Amino acid sequence: MKRDYYGDVKLFSSGVTLFWFAALIIFLLLYPFLFENYYVYMANYIAINIIVVVGLNLLVGYTGQISLGHAGFFAIGAYGTIVLMTLASFPFLLALICAGLIAAGFGFLLGLPALRLEGPYLAIATLGFGLTLTTVIGRIDMLGGRQGLHAPDLVIMGHHLTTDRQFYYLAMIITVLLVIIARNITKTKVGRAFVAIRDAHIAAETMGVNLVLYKTLAFALSAFYAGVAGGLFAFVLRFIEPELFGFFLSIFFLTMAVAGGLGTVMGPIAGAILLSFLDLELRNILNIPYVGDWLRQLSTSHFSLTGVSNIQFIVFGTILILIMLFEPLGLYGLWIRMKKYWKTWPF
Amino acid sequence: MKKVLLSALLSAAFVFGIFSPGFCEVGITDTEIHIGQWSPQTGPAAAWGAVARGTDAYFKWINANGGIHGRKIVHHYFDDAYNPARTIAGVKQLQERTGIFAWVGGVGTAPGLAVKDYLMAKDVIWVGPAAGSRNWLTPPHKNLFNVYPLYLGDAQLLNEYAINELGKKKIAVVYQEDDYGEQGLEGTKFTLKKYNMEPVAAIPVALGDSDMRPHAMRLRRSDADAVLLFVTPIAASRIIGTGKAMNYNPQWMSTTTCADCPLMMDITQGLYADVITANFGMRDDSEQVGDSQHINNPKMELMQTYKTEVFDRYAARDERWGYTFSLGIALAEPLVEAIRNAGPDLTHEKVIKELENLENFKGMLGRISYGPFDPEDPLTRIGQQSIFLHQCTEDGGSVILTDWIETEYIPMGE
Repeated sequence: MKRDYYGDVKLFSSGVTLFWFAALIIFLLLYPFLFENYYVYMANYIAINIIVVVGLNLLVGYTGQISLGHAGFFAIGAYGTIVLMTLASFPFLLALICAGLIAAGFGFLLGLPALRLEGPYLAIATLGFGLTLTTVIGRIDMLGGRQGLHAPDLVIMGHHLTTDRQFYYLAMIITVLLVIIARNITKTKVGRAFVAIRDAHIAAETMGVNLVLYKTLAFALSAFYAGVAGGLFAFVLRFIEPELFGFFLSIFFLTMAVAGGLGTVMGPIAGAILLSFLDLELRNILNIPYVGDWLRQLSTSHFSLTGVSNIQFIVFGTILILIMLFEPLGLYGLWIRMKKYWKTWPF
Repeated sequence: MKKVLLSALLSAAFVFGIFSPGFCEVGITDTEIHIGQWSPQTGPAAAWGAVARGTDAYFKWINANGGIHGRKIVHHYFDDAYNPARTIAGVKQLQERTGIFAWVGGVGTAPGLAVKDYLMAKDVIWVGPAAGSRNWLTPPHKNLFNVYPLYLGDAQLLNEYAINELGKKKIAVVYQEDDYGEQGLEGTKFTLKKYNMEPVAAIPVALGDSDMRPHAMRLRRSDADAVLLFVTPIAASRIIGTGKAMNYNPQWMSTTTCADCPLMMDITQGLYADVITANFGMRDDSEQVGDSQHINNPKMELMQTYKTEVFDRYAARDERWGYTFSLGIALAEPLVEAIRNAGPDLTHEKVIKELENLENFKGMLGRISYGPFDPEDPLTRIGQQSIFLHQCTEDGGSVILTDWIETEYIPMGE
């Protein structure tokens, strides 16, 4: 039970939470030893999406500002990290942070129109940013133009990180740190200002919340998260080109945040885990015994030539519709309901 | 006693490990050879999905005819929707869980580059990436065998022909904003430089562009008398259609990507007649300049065999017999030939050696040759360097314009 301000800002609200957090950390440490390499790659992919979505949630979930251009910040992070490492000989971690800060700078600039725009108008402005950025990157020779860039060797303190398992620990440390920071931000003055702007920006301004500062700060923070994630993503793919950072990637990020549950820290994490998992694993839907055969028959009888492949998108869309239909608060809402049911059981 | 037993066991394990290569080779059993492939069955590049379906039908036909030295080919192909993150996931899953002996085809430069380092680190053979990118050869890898002629070569041959045979003085380029288009532009500039010329216009096309009027107007303003199109078939049809509607009629020329005359005539509703394109195969040695050609080329027996034995029997109901489907067969041919030549005691090293031994191998494409691996020489892994030009005709066929011509390899940065 939270009885005062300090109870609310505590990182771990109870001993039970601390216990589960410790258990999670131990699980994450042991994960590469428990699962085969493919699942380690999947964990890296999920971790990167978690970083983006946690950052996006600070903007959309906490501050109430929409963004359809986060793939642009993601691209800035990816390109920034590689260029700083190859052209300026920055070490990886410094390049990653600097690329994140560059993305944050662009986020700040994009936050300026947000002072006058809302809802669909802001969505279009951010969408324009995302679309323009990939076109601009494609025209700059230093950034590899349309032919893309190869990532250099990833070296941290003399250690070459070449395998998924080695990269995993780097990705996890950064992810856990950024999630904790995001969680702390939401509990500070800044986070409360974000929430106040989201709930009633005129009232917030009347109460002394500086809209210019906090709206642009929300954009910058969110862009920083996306930039850092982009920097990590560049080393998962080892090769980047502008087409990777298209409009649909921005939509995918937003979908993860909404499906997980906006305005909470754990919700978007759950959304990122579920949708990233489905994104990679639905490809295998036809290998499920009986169901796979039935779907294949259905497809060859009633669908087009590539109907079998499209089934994964139909299933993906159906899962999203079901989540939104039965739990508008997303996966986090589901969790809250389960918790309540458990606490009040058998009543 | 225990020490003796332990030593004996260790020695046995060592000997067993050394002298039982069958147990060391990933993706081969006594009865099966596992071959992997990715391709976009959905998404923006789904039209290229026919490549994998062509390969799949080809392997089914081989299996129906007894396989290779008694082993059946198990073909694992998956849809990556042209998304490199998914390509990596699928490749790693198949390689590490199933165990793949060799990869074949693989559509797209970006998806291919995302898995290239991984496959090379795993020491797996990869034959015939389905994109004419120089990235496969920069640097060359021992296990990576290119088949598809480079887009740079298309650009060279088209420009040479426009200048020397057609007498064109003003050449413009319309190029897609990706690796394919950029290499077309680079090859054009490289070739024109030899003639002290420059493109009179170089017009980029974004993948999502649907209104081609601005592009066509710029072309008309440039007064180009030959226009080279390094774009997708749909974009090519739109540009030509818009240009003709403006009464602008230069000599349109395009690449192997738009060489499927029946398809192009179909989607342009006949406007593709007289367009000259580069071509890399489906031509019999007996065919001469001036001969008519068609996808159902009666002179090419191999092509007819594939049409009746592979396509008619194993292709899906709605599949179309065309260049994309048959490319799936063509990219797999060198690998199948090498596996066959390697004999029943199949190993990774033997297949590499047999691939390197291929000299002027003729399947559906042009002559394919490799050589002993030299990390400094990309030509040891380039495969096919010769292409020819043909001109589409109104009946959906084409007329051969040139002999097979060997193109020059242009290293990065020249």
